[in-house]
Amino acid sequence: MKVVHYLNQFFAGRGAEGAAGLAPERIAGAVGPGRGLGLDVAVTLVCGDDFFGEHETEALPQLLAWLEEEAADVLVCGPSFGSGRYGYACGTLAREAVRRGIPAVCGMHPESPGVPAAAGAAYVVPTDERVTGMRDALPRMAALARKLGARALIGAPDAEGYLPRGLRHNVLDERPAAVRAVDLVLAKLAGTVTSEAAAPPERIPPPPPIADPAGVRLALVTESGLVPAGNPDRLESNRARTWLEYPLQGVTAFAPGAYESAHGGYDVRAANADPNRLVPLDAVRALESEGRIGGLHETLYTTTGNSTPVAVAAGFGAEIAQRLHDAAVQAVILTGT
Amino acid sequence: MPSVGHTSTGEDLDVATFVVRDVMEGPETRWDHGRLLIDLSAVEVLSAGSSPGVLRVQAEIVRPGQPVRLVNVLDAVDPVVKKNAPQTTFPGALGELAVAGAGVSNRLDGVAVVSLADFRATHDVEALACSPDGEGVIDMAGPGAYLSPWSATVNLALTFECDPDASLADADRSIRAITLRAARDLAAATVEAMPVAVESFALHPADDSLPAVCVILQVAAEGPLSDTFFYGRSVEGILPTLIDPREVLDGALTSGQYDWAGSRNPTAFYQRSVLLRELLDRHGRDLRFAGVILALGYLPSAREKERSALLAARLAKRIGAEAAVLTTFQTGNSHTDTVLTAQACARLGVATVVLFAETDAGLTDWAPETDCVVSTGNEEELVPEWRPARVLGGEMTYSGRSAMVAGRLPVAEYLGAVSQMGDMRLRAVTW
Repeated sequence: MKVVHYLNQFFAGRGAEGAAGLAPERIAGAVGPGRGLGLDVAVTLVCGDDFFGEHETEALPQLLAWLEEEAADVLVCGPSFGSGRYGYACGTLAREAVRRGIPAVCGMHPESPGVPAAAGAAYVVPTDERVTGMRDALPRMAALARKLGARALIGAPDAEGYLPRGLRHNVLDERPAAVRAVDLVLAKLAGTVTSEAAAPPERIPPPPPIADPAGVRLALVTESGLVPAGNPDRLESNRARTWLEYPLQGVTAFAPGAYESAHGGYDVRAANADPNRLVPLDAVRALESEGRIGGLHETLYTTTGNSTPVAVAAGFGAEIAQRLHDAAVQAVILTGT
Repeated sequence: MPSVGHTSTGEDLDVATFVVRDVMEGPETRWDHGRLLIDLSAVEVLSAGSSPGVLRVQAEIVRPGQPVRLVNVLDAVDPVVKKNAPQTTFPGALGELAVAGAGVSNRLDGVAVVSLADFRATHDVEALACSPDGEGVIDMAGPGAYLSPWSATVNLALTFECDPDASLADADRSIRAITLRAARDLAAATVEAMPVAVESFALHPADDSLPAVCVILQVAAEGPLSDTFFYGRSVEGILPTLIDPREVLDGALTSGQYDWAGSRNPTAFYQRSVLLRELLDRHGRDLRFAGVILALGYLPSAREKERSALLAARLAKRIGAEAAVLTTFQTGNSHTDTVLTAQACARLGVATVVLFAETDAGLTDWAPETDCVVSTGNEEELVPEWRPARVLGGEMTYSGRSAMVAGRLPVAEYLGAVSQMGDMRLRAVTW
């Protein structure tokens, strides 16, 4: 099992604050806390906390390139304890390592900014705020690293000693859901309200209203599965792997028979009878000709939002938003189904 | 005029249970003191009559623990027969019309009839407006076996071969009729036998001081292959309707809906509903069971969703319910119907609990009024890979993967896994 360990300048013995600007380095073998892990650390990667924070676009690709070059089975980061900058670097590197298929474990205080940086991708072993927690932290991190490196199944947060990553994991309750439902609603009537699932954590606030629509360039984006008739690019009816773009030049409205929905998550019969009710091109063209909007961005962005994992959908969103940004679009009508 | 065959004057539903200890193929379908013999050829000839759309049906017995994967699963049905009027079993859907939910029903415990059909093999399903989404899997062994109730029953698996020249709507109608018929015929072997237990489902007047609880049972109809039937007719367009829970347990509701298997309500979930049985059992003890309101989900517009939510809540209030258990039919879109219904109930002072399957990201929809949620599990979680020795129901899964080497399947593809009628014990917790 090939173990790679990440440390900041201080724990790598390069110096304290004065050395925080240190650029990434690769060192053979274990260094400092790495010797206390009880693992056969093949390589230690080091970066100054300030350097990582101020030059992340430089430091992160370099560290990841080394990690992939070393073909690491597992990455261990820190422990960074209560340190904010060090924790952030550990969490960020660990997250990106996991996204490249290399399991990773960090050690840090639960309130470290490294915990959100790890984004539930990497495992975080909670530690003390201070360095005095080293002896306690190292064996717990090493135990998890051994399992991760061996691709063993990782159990519950409590049992394995890591912070919950926000995954919704299935377990078997003692009672069927229906019995729990009856008990919960009777308790609710008696004044005790409990829930087995919380509100979604992320609620995206809407942007402020547009002051002067007559000046804006407007785009149309949809997850309704709207495609040209016959679905020439085979947009998936569910679990879409991609989004598509179609030109709108010369299209005054989505004619029935010329456009249709490929979506498999709702009854498309009414939508196909008038695809403009999925994406209001007819109405937007009217506003355009009346001069009530500055203009229409002549590309439709479309996908199917049906059983799409949130991470995939968020990726689509970021990619489409970048296109819109590049095209100087200032407003979007985003229709969902 | 349909004839009315059921003449029982008894108010209660008596369910006589016959526990099946062994199932074997035999020269005739017969009940022999806990042993069920099945004449498979008699089942197979059911397609020979007037069954438009179906070329043939192959019947096979599959057992728990066998290295067998069933794919393209459509429905699962508990074998049941009306003891004193077999011709009214599954009234409207199979048998003559009669009010369900009264009299004696014989049911077999431990055996199910499961229908399978690979529509892709005979039809260009992607070109059709009606095509099922997602996969329908039952693994008789392996790491996914705990997810489906039908991994633990002996199944009479009926694999249908559709006629490529007929419509899928026709084929589906025949498949449903043959499946219900087979289920009735198995149970009919017990009409002269003595059951091991008889459960009586009564709804006598209960103490007014007990809290009144109703169920708003969400169903949906989006046309062929995506339909639910009440006394044999599609529920499309119904207003929220008050029904007796015993009608549901006694075959008034049947399924013709083949999207995502994990959150599907197969016919058997109506027949054996844990939720309805629980409320009937507790009626007069710690609650009053105020009734079942059948209401549509998956409605196609915001206005229709709000209208149905409003009318369902109004009906709950009118029957005196102080609380309502809200079930959900399938996921995504329909969660909004449930949330709107919870909000409409809250406005009328009816407390609600909702049953929701979750995704990797948690709940699909939520409002402050859905403050009491029962999690029926994360349908996106992947199950460890398992390679069966044999596959029934087609060589390919619906999503086009080899059924033998399908990789890690999501929970959403296992029949009944995240039942939002509350039949299962699965639940998601934060890891």
